[in-house]
Amino acid sequence: MGMPISHIMTSGMSGIRAAGDLVARMQFSENMRIADAKDYVAKKLDVTTDDLSDEYVMRELREDLGIGVITSVAGAPKGIAAKMNIEKLLDIKINSCERFRNQLR
Amino acid sequence: MSKEEMFKELSDAVISCKKDTVTAAVEKAKGQGLEPAEIIEKGLATGMNEVGILFERGKLFLPHVMMAAGAMEAGVAILEADMPKDAAKKKLAVIVNGTVEGDVHDIGKSIVSTMLQSAGFEVHDIGRDVPLQDFIDKAKETSATMIGLSALMTTTMQGQKDVIEMLKEQGMRDNVKIMIGGAPATQAWADKIGADCYAENASEAVVKAKELLV
Amino acid sequence: MATEYKLRMGDGKRIFMTKEQIMADLKEGMADAADLGSIPDISADELDKLFDILTMPSRMVGVELGKEVPVTHDIGTLRIDGDQGNSGVGIPSSRLVGIMMHERAFGADTMELGHIDYSYKPAKPVIAQEMQTMEVVQQNTIVPMFYGAMPNMGLYYTPDGPFENPGDLMKAFKIEEARKSMEDSAKHLTRDIVWIMQRMMASGADGVNFDTVGAAGDGDMYASLHAIEALRKQYPDIYIESGMAGELMLGMHGEMEYDGVTLAGLWPHQQAPLAAKAGANVFGPVVNTNTSKSGAWNLGRAVTFIKQAVKDSPIPCHVNMGMGVGGIPMLETPTIDAVSRASKAMVEIAGVDGI
Repeated sequence: MGMPISHIMTSGMSGIRAAGDLVARMQFSENMRIADAKDYVAKKLDVTTDDLSDEYVMRELREDLGIGVITSVAGAPKGIAAKMNIEKLLDIKINSCERFRNQLR
Repeated sequence: MSKEEMFKELSDAVISCKKDTVTAAVEKAKGQGLEPAEIIEKGLATGMNEVGILFERGKLFLPHVMMAAGAMEAGVAILEADMPKDAAKKKLAVIVNGTVEGDVHDIGKSIVSTMLQSAGFEVHDIGRDVPLQDFIDKAKETSATMIGLSALMTTTMQGQKDVIEMLKEQGMRDNVKIMIGGAPATQAWADKIGADCYAENASEAVVKAKELLV
Repeated sequence: MATEYKLRMGDGKRIFMTKEQIMADLKEGMADAADLGSIPDISADELDKLFDILTMPSRMVGVELGKEVPVTHDIGTLRIDGDQGNSGVGIPSSRLVGIMMHERAFGADTMELGHIDYSYKPAKPVIAQEMQTMEVVQQNTIVPMFYGAMPNMGLYYTPDGPFENPGDLMKAFKIEEARKSMEDSAKHLTRDIVWIMQRMMASGADGVNFDTVGAAGDGDMYASLHAIEALRKQYPDIYIESGMAGELMLGMHGEMEYDGVTLAGLWPHQQAPLAAKAGANVFGPVVNTNTSKSGAWNLGRAVTFIKQAVKDSPIPCHVNMGMGVGGIPMLETPTIDAVSRASKAMVEIAGVDGI
């Protein structure tokens, strides 16, 4: 159990603490290699690729963009709402958002 | 053809995994006056060793190993008439092999059994999730000189230790060697529980079994 | 007296080695990989860098700033609450809690939902629960969320499944019967995976993680590649990760092919193009850790193999770095110093796209 934490501390992009989830999405949705995925996300967020793993930069930016933060910010988008904003930001479709939209009447 | 060339032909025939090629090579070797024992040991068995190495290197696969073993058996059968009674059928040693109780993992243990069998051991594979006493009972029944204990989980590894303790309690520990294997098993674990050897993979299992039993 | 550095054995035990011993083991491990995989050695500079990483004095090391990669903990969902007899920690909690802990507290870049039995087949009887849980998870999380399990074709053989156990058949020299049993099992496995994923996609999953492809040999890989192909066809946007079980595809059948390539005997760099061809987005190469060798030997070997897989793969490679693979010691509690060094080496030398 401690092993993934060691990996995350050593090499990871910190998930939604920074922008690791966004880079991973581009790898999985467009088969992008790491450099291309980082470039793509950095351009969309108008930051440098180094900033994507920078909790200081991403903490405020994520809140501004409404794409989810780890702390309890009242009214900030979470779950599906945050992912819908990610869809727009990265210009991709996310299955759970599609399913959610299909349920609306 | 020199003896060495004939041995090479016999060995290559086994590596080809083809029964007809092996039997033809054995007939040829017999025709040249080679002794049955050296045809087997320096020719066919050398080929089987090479098959094991090729399996480990991903160049030959399990069916090939079995085909090679089958071909070798056919070759040995030709020599039976010229050998002391039952000598050709004599196995290197008898081994009971299985996965310990509570552990349903089967495939790795089966590969080990297959490789031991193809290397010339008489193997009694008693399956997976095997009650611990069954290992001992089967060893008694077959006069086995080695018990192989596989475990894929840290929770079931304890069964390997328990069998060793049970053998001691039943006064049988000195009658059999214990080999352990499986993902969480290590040499350190083997040392700790008093197993006679640990094998990292199927090929190593054959090497270790030969070291201890042959 | 020569300086001795603190390293680990493949089973995690502390050892002390001189520079000469470490370099010798690094080279030997590298040579073993190069020989087995018919692949090039890593460069002298890369060997030196591996030495530097292994001998850094700090307990934990890290990749250079800017070189971070996505890290996922595939089975992590289950590791908080569960214990499958290897590395679960048994803290009573739901799977949702496990996932949210990874996302919000640990910083995982992707996560997955998995069933405690962690194979596709046993998920079938409880599919309604899996669907319900996926929906709840997706409503509460942001990172990419997979449904993951092992193809585990062994569950289709007797006594667990309907097809006669090929291991038994093989030992009885019934080779053709054994092969037929594997072929039948593979068809069934493909069908089950597709059936399960159809339901998980209807419940909002981002995709599927094929964990330990090939654990039951080449038939297992054959079934998985066909399931990947079918899912890609039905769901063009599905995220698919295909992670291997071991470094060498075991030839239980020996003659199964995909795209004209015999699956048995493939090393990681040879498996990657097939996963991509079938329709995977990310490939998870594996190199086994040898517990009887030093960390230097294991890491030299693993980095050599993985670097080539990264090079030959048309899709991103997320290297498998769990217990007993990728230079990680085979231990329930892998030491942080060893995990951290292996992690850094894979990113900075092998050039992986993720972990």
